[in-house]
Amino acid sequence: MTPVPEVWDDESLIAALREAFRAREAVPAEFVQAGKSVFAWHNIDAELAQLTYDSSRDEDYEPSLRAEAASIRALTFTSAHLTVELEVTGDTLLGQIIPAQGGVIRIQPRDGGETTVTADEIGCFSIRPIPLGPFRLYCRTRDDLDALTGWITLDT
Amino acid sequence: MHNDSSVIALVARVSDGDQEAWNEIIERYSPLVWAICLRYQLDRQDIDDVGQSVWLLLIEHIGSLREAAALPGWLATTTRREALRVLRAGRRHEHADLPPEDQMPPYPDAETIEEAVVVAERNAALRAAFAELPPRCQELLAMLASDPPPAYAEVSGKLSIPIGGIGPTRARCLSRMRRSPHLAGIVGGGASDVEISESGR
Repeated sequence: MTPVPEVWDDESLIAALREAFRAREAVPAEFVQAGKSVFAWHNIDAELAQLTYDSSRDEDYEPSLRAEAASIRALTFTSAHLTVELEVTGDTLLGQIIPAQGGVIRIQPRDGGETTVTADEIGCFSIRPIPLGPFRLYCRTRDDLDALTGWITLDT
Repeated sequence: MHNDSSVIALVARVSDGDQEAWNEIIERYSPLVWAICLRYQLDRQDIDDVGQSVWLLLIEHIGSLREAAALPGWLATTTRREALRVLRAGRRHEHADLPPEDQMPPYPDAETIEEAVVVAERNAALRAAFAELPPRCQELLAMLASDPPPAYAEVSGKLSIPIGGIGPTRARCLSRMRRSPHLAGIVGGGASDVEISESGR
């Protein structure tokens, strides 16, 4: 941190400006762009669901065995009223809304091109193929509960 | 904390659905969010996660920000909280068998974070003040503030200013910048500019 005098003289103001430019250049353009894209949500009223569990950060994670393939990653998003559990199995993303109920899941890639799947009576849904690049899920249940997940990236 | 009327105006425009104003907020404050995340030693994926959460919380709450001028402080607090959240989500299971006080690795102390916030706010104010200078001043100061600083002969050649004119122009531009409302209340900015700009001429 450059020491700051009470009032900048010309040299220290130029130096401070140099530091300000450098700090701005240190931020990756994609990070800034992603922030600008968030504006698309300015009139969306959904409750944000936050990532509360991620198996990729859990050393004790033991993949559960489903019918076809072993789950390789599990994620949980939680909002005040809804929990969305996700599991990657092979080329499919399996999900369940809790409390279990039917609903509609909108898959929203950061780069656009929204698609939709439905959740059955017990809240289960599947997304196939798994979206490339960051995406988020907007879930709206039959009881009009909704939740918007944070960004998810699974193709790494 | 400084009282920056331009922040208030930006927040009001975003509330009215102005994408350009939102972009400007992102441009101005993403270095603040970024710098705080670095202090928590987050990896890139976590920084992206924190960034998204912070901006989403902002767009969600921007209509109800009690005091728009307090935006930088709000962003700093929210970024800290989100950084801690991703750290906890990642570490909760790793040290589950340890007593609670040993489960978390040490976080950066409050002072370190506070310093990052002060620097980032100052930088944002400087860039905002710079952005409102006349184009000629921006050209000149951008060159002089590049790293490494260029020789005056080079500046003179590129901007077609006689070498003898660089010093006075520079002083005039800096003086103008110092008077920017963006810098009011920022350490190093300030009202006692007259004296200095006069002596710089």
